[in-house]
Amino acid sequence: MKFSYRWIREFVPGLEMPAQALERLITMKTAECEGIETAGALLAGAAVAKVQAVQPIEGFHNQIATVDAGPYGQKTVVCGASNCRAGITTVYVPLGLKKVSGVMSDGMLASAAELEINRDHAGILELDGTQELPAADQIIEIDNKSITHRPDLWGHHGMAREVAAITGQPLRDPVDLSLLPAGESPVQVEIEDFGLCPRYSALVFENVTVQPSPLWLQARLTAVGLNPINNIVDLTNFIMAELAQPMHAFDRAKLQGSVISARPARAGETILALNDESYELNPANLVIADGAGPIALAGVIGGKDSAISAATTSIVLESANFQASGIRKTSSALKLRTDASMRFEKAQDPHNTVRALARALELLPVLSPGIRLVGGMADCSRELSVPAPIWLNLPWLARKLGRTLETAEVRRILESLEFGVTETDAENFSVTVPSWRATKDVAMPDDLVEEVGRMIGYDSIAPTPPAVLCAPSYDPPEREFLRGVKRHLAAQGFTEVSNYSFISEEEARRFGFAVESHVRVLNPIAAGQELMRTSLLPGIYRNIVENAKHFEHFQLFETGREIHKVPGQKPAERTHAMAAVFSKDDGRAGLLELKRAAEGLAPGLHVRPAAPNAWEHTMRAAELWWQGRARAAKRIGRLSELHPNLVEGGRGAVLDIDLELLRELQPEAVKYAAVRRFPTSVFDLSILTAERELAATLELEIRRLGGDLAEAVEYVREFQGPPLPEGRKSVSFRVVAGAPDRTLSSADIIGIRTRIIDGLNSLGYELRA
Amino acid sequence: MQDLLDSALARITAAGTAAELEAVRVEVLGRKGVLAQLSKDMGKLSADERAARGKFINTAKQSLEGAYEELKSKFEAEALAKRLDSEWLDLTVPAPGARPGSLHPITQIQWEIEDLFRSLGFSVLDGPEVETEHHNFDALNIPPDHPARDMQDTFWLEGHHLLRTHTSPVQVRGMEKLGPPLRMIAPGRVFRNESVDASHEHTFYQLEGMMIDRNVSAGNLIYFMKTLLTAIFKREVTVRLRPGFFPFVEPGFELDIRCLICGGDGCPVCKQSGWVELLPCGLVNPHVLRMSGIDPNEWGGFAFGLGLTRLVMMRYAIDDIRWLQSGDLRFLRQF
Ligand SMILES: [Zn+2]
Repeated sequence: MKFSYRWIREFVPGLEMPAQALERLITMKTAECEGIETAGALLAGAAVAKVQAVQPIEGFHNQIATVDAGPYGQKTVVCGASNCRAGITTVYVPLGLKKVSGVMSDGMLASAAELEINRDHAGILELDGTQELPAADQIIEIDNKSITHRPDLWGHHGMAREVAAITGQPLRDPVDLSLLPAGESPVQVEIEDFGLCPRYSALVFENVTVQPSPLWLQARLTAVGLNPINNIVDLTNFIMAELAQPMHAFDRAKLQGSVISARPARAGETILALNDESYELNPANLVIADGAGPIALAGVIGGKDSAISAATTSIVLESANFQASGIRKTSSALKLRTDASMRFEKAQDPHNTVRALARALELLPVLSPGIRLVGGMADCSRELSVPAPIWLNLPWLARKLGRTLETAEVRRILESLEFGVTETDAENFSVTVPSWRATKDVAMPDDLVEEVGRMIGYDSIAPTPPAVLCAPSYDPPEREFLRGVKRHLAAQGFTEVSNYSFISEEEARRFGFAVESHVRVLNPIAAGQELMRTSLLPGIYRNIVENAKHFEHFQLFETGREIHKVPGQKPAERTHAMAAVFSKDDGRAGLLELKRAAEGLAPGLHVRPAAPNAWEHTMRAAELWWQGRARAAKRIGRLSELHPNLVEGGRGAVLDIDLELLRELQPEAVKYAAVRRFPTSVFDLSILTAERELAATLELEIRRLGGDLAEAVEYVREFQGPPLPEGRKSVSFRVVAGAPDRTLSSADIIGIRTRIIDGLNSLGYELRA
Repeated sequence: MQDLLDSALARITAAGTAAELEAVRVEVLGRKGVLAQLSKDMGKLSADERAARGKFINTAKQSLEGAYEELKSKFEAEALAKRLDSEWLDLTVPAPGARPGSLHPITQIQWEIEDLFRSLGFSVLDGPEVETEHHNFDALNIPPDHPARDMQDTFWLEGHHLLRTHTSPVQVRGMEKLGPPLRMIAPGRVFRNESVDASHEHTFYQLEGMMIDRNVSAGNLIYFMKTLLTAIFKREVTVRLRPGFFPFVEPGFELDIRCLICGGDGCPVCKQSGWVELLPCGLVNPHVLRMSGIDPNEWGGFAFGLGLTRLVMMRYAIDDIRWLQSGDLRFLRQF
């Protein structure tokens, strides 16, 4: 929102500090300023000038103009405007000497666009000789987000009230309500639902002359970012920028009948709006309608058919109030945000409609000389309730702010913002809220804490340590667990990455995930981010492919949430860890590196070969099972190499672990077991078997055959190649035999060994010497 | 006899290797060795001769064993020296196995700040990334069609759910679960439907915190933020509050810190103002307390939000926010 310094000063005549100083005070006490710009910078030195003669310049379309530049005397300037001709009155701007088209030009003749009066840059500005040039202005830009809760600050008078309160200067009200006419209006207003349209006021005028507005008014509108169109439309925009009350003018001759109604649109109704777009409406959209149908989208935009044109001679001037959420819904459904809708959705004050009409009654005779009011004012309104006063306890206020307060100071601040203050006793005020703050902004004592606090200055509050109960913090176990996982993986050589939670349909398909099993984003920010990830794999895969361009070998990991669809319920979130290794070797080391990382997280986990997914190497996919504290092992994750079709120029291996399951399975605190007292014996076995026999299968058989006395069975090594026959390998295990209560005899040990060897033989394995 | 001894000694000292020495030891000092021979016929000698012989044997044994031990030590020392020499190792070669990995800079900052808050008695909570409208907006005093919803462009999911636009819902869940008095922070991933460029991300990390207790004032908030920020930036920080609008606090503040680059004199980082906008905060709105089952007449508190992503960018002077979610190891390995 742009605020004109000059406009504000019209309402705060005592304002003397420059715009820069004012901007800082507004930032500290009211709303965030984003900067100051000069509007109409060229106007600062401009002078009204008369063109005395023009002569062409050979070979250029520019001409040499000799002008009487008033206080600057006679000047010779080069001008390219086609309307530059002897006898016209225009605007001279001194810019110093400059060679243009081979001729020395002393200054320039300016267009209205160059002077920032309006957007007309077709030629130099032509004056009729009676108009004064507007002055340059300073524009203070306020961050819209910082005034979303302040309907009153969407107009200059509201901001001027703040400025008056900040500077201690009196505030002038531009509105004279006594101008409002009595009597019947020639139009009748009907409101179907006062909830959606609390108030609709209107005036009718005839003998209207549609013409450009005076330059000062055009310059004002341009300075605050509005586009001058004609005197009637400009009037509505001017009052909106001044009083925050949006208005609309209809060409009365284009309206059917004398009844204007505010009602929900009927299904199928359409409207051609002022922006030349046609909108199909439904009952969620409030319209203003005449006897024939919608003439405006209430509070958003007017209709093209009833718009003011050069031929307009009679107008209906609307000043209405609409429910904020309804306007917001319509405006976002139609993707149409206008200066009017932006204000209405902040909950405007219904008392303001007639103030705007009174202001129009003062301005219209100036903008359209000869204009005549027809009849009285139409004003259809629900009963405007007066909010209950707020009880403000002064010691409570002081406690909330954390500083002492003078009663008189609190009163002065509230009254400067036009709150009504009654002292009920020494410690309590009864505070009435002005109507423009009562729509949703101020309703409880805490809101007054802000009013007093900001005006007294937060820098006047001394930092004070809080006196709070001493209590240990509650710490959810998940957090420390996740930290442990991350620390472990980083220590194992994995670099942590962070990927988006979004994936594309194409990515889902690439890995064989059913697209419909994903939670869909209804308004994705970009193509390719329309689904919520059900696995960290697509992101990790992207990391592998991208980093493979720069590195020969790397290890990375991510922890993050998978989002899973749950029919009829909120999607379920599951925290997973996924680690990956990329290498340019045979891939064995990478997979084992990942396995080692997994074993660090789940000591004693089991790997079980698994049927490969489409994205996996057909021979290198396995499930990870872990018992942890549970009775039976659970599948906690998966270890596999990516299918070679997916990774070019190397191999990618991935480890996926369900961290929530892993955490649930964490063993309870370790219980100490007595250190054994009896010695154990050790013997090795080498088993000759088929090349693809799993070491884990052999180990399991040895354990089973060894029984309780085989306390440990450890894989030692395996061997393949000559002198072993093709397709065979030898796998060695070390068996530790012992008993908790005695030293085993050599007969015992021979017995165990024989039992294992005989058993293996009977299963078809050969033992190597 | 003396000759016998001399020749035995000569044979010991003549041994050139440990193996030769061992062979000589067996011949001289062994059970069938020279000394054993000398003591064999002792029985045939007279008492005097026997005494003299015994004395001679003892002396001879000492001198032979002495010579043997000396030479043995020498050979052992030589062997050890030779082994050590042969075991020369180049320790400048790289160690095998993986290099240490690293944690994401967001993780590092997050842990640092979590630890700081824990030292102040705060609980560290987290909640779901997929939220209900109620927890993300309504319970925070942002009803449907409130313009404040524009401030947080939202990713909507099918089934009327959304991706949390802030971690404030965790505060609501924290209040509901733990009740007052309460000190908690909620760090985590949040989402805003914004186009990505060098300074905007749709996925980023923030940390919101609140303290609920009796008689919590704006003065307490200022003190707390000043203490906290001094700890985070590891230097004295000057803060100022100015009005800011956030529906779940009343009054709401924007907290600025005096520019750490120029010290307040004005520089490009602070746009010449001397102050840098750092975080939103405020006293918790009584509606929010009430909606979370806490009596605002008895309890009050303050809340604040801290952009973890922003802090990471500030600390490491990262010029493009997109690096953080890029997964690019050229960037991540630096941390
Ligand atoms: Zn600075």
